[in-house]
Amino acid sequence: MAKIVAIVVCAFIGGGSRYLIGAVLPVTAGFPWATIVVNLLGSGLLAWLSHAETVTDKWPNALTVGLGVGGLGAFTTFSTFSLDTVRLLTQQDWLLAGAYLATTLIGGLGLSWLGFWSARRWFSFPVVEEA
Amino acid sequence: MMAAVAGLGAAIGALGRYETTRWVQRVYGNHWPLATLLINWLGSGLLGGLTGWQLAHPLTVLLGAGILGGFTTFSTFSHEVVMLADQRRFGAVIGYLLLSVVGGLLLAAGGLWWGLHFR
Repeated sequence: MAKIVAIVVCAFIGGGSRYLIGAVLPVTAGFPWATIVVNLLGSGLLAWLSHAETVTDKWPNALTVGLGVGGLGAFTTFSTFSLDTVRLLTQQDWLLAGAYLATTLIGGLGLSWLGFWSARRWFSFPVVEEA
Repeated sequence: MMAAVAGLGAAIGALGRYETTRWVQRVYGNHWPLATLLINWLGSGLLGGLTGWQLAHPLTVLLGAGILGGFTTFSTFSHEVVMLADQRRFGAVIGYLLLSVVGGLLLAAGGLWWGLHFR
């Protein structure tokens, strides 16, 4: 039950923030900057949160689930990414569609890897050597 | 005000994603990220249809940016790709990436076409 509450509260904030960023960042020359920003930022933070054991160990598990599944899961979005790309493709903006796809995928995976790597490097418990 | 509407929808969507993931993992297991794939496919297709319908603005925000935006997720998708790569399962990396992206695009395009023709 604590997990459900945490997910609902965090997703409300995450989804609301995504909407606000979309309202603030304009679509310059047909390029959906807002979706790029939320997806890249969210990817990096989720991977970090999922592996930063020494940090998440200090608070209840429900908060980690709420922040990850709810907050960052709802902050980022796959459906808008798909539809943005379809819109650029139907406008026959091949270059822009390709650039959007490449930026989102390479950036998202790159930041996710960076989050994972840095959490493992600096925020994980040392591996106990077997005697 | 509209941000709260989007947030409300996102809370419903995220809860739906959490329960769907638990259900798929119970039935299928979690050796391959099938749950996120199905969620992102379904959400992309439905957002296409919703966009084609061209509903009133507050309803589009609630259903589109809110529920479907919160239901689908990019951060979990990229984290799962990185985890598969870390396990050196490169076939699964390519398969999951291609199925997610190409499938999501085709379903969004199909949904959009369907929405524009049947409203």
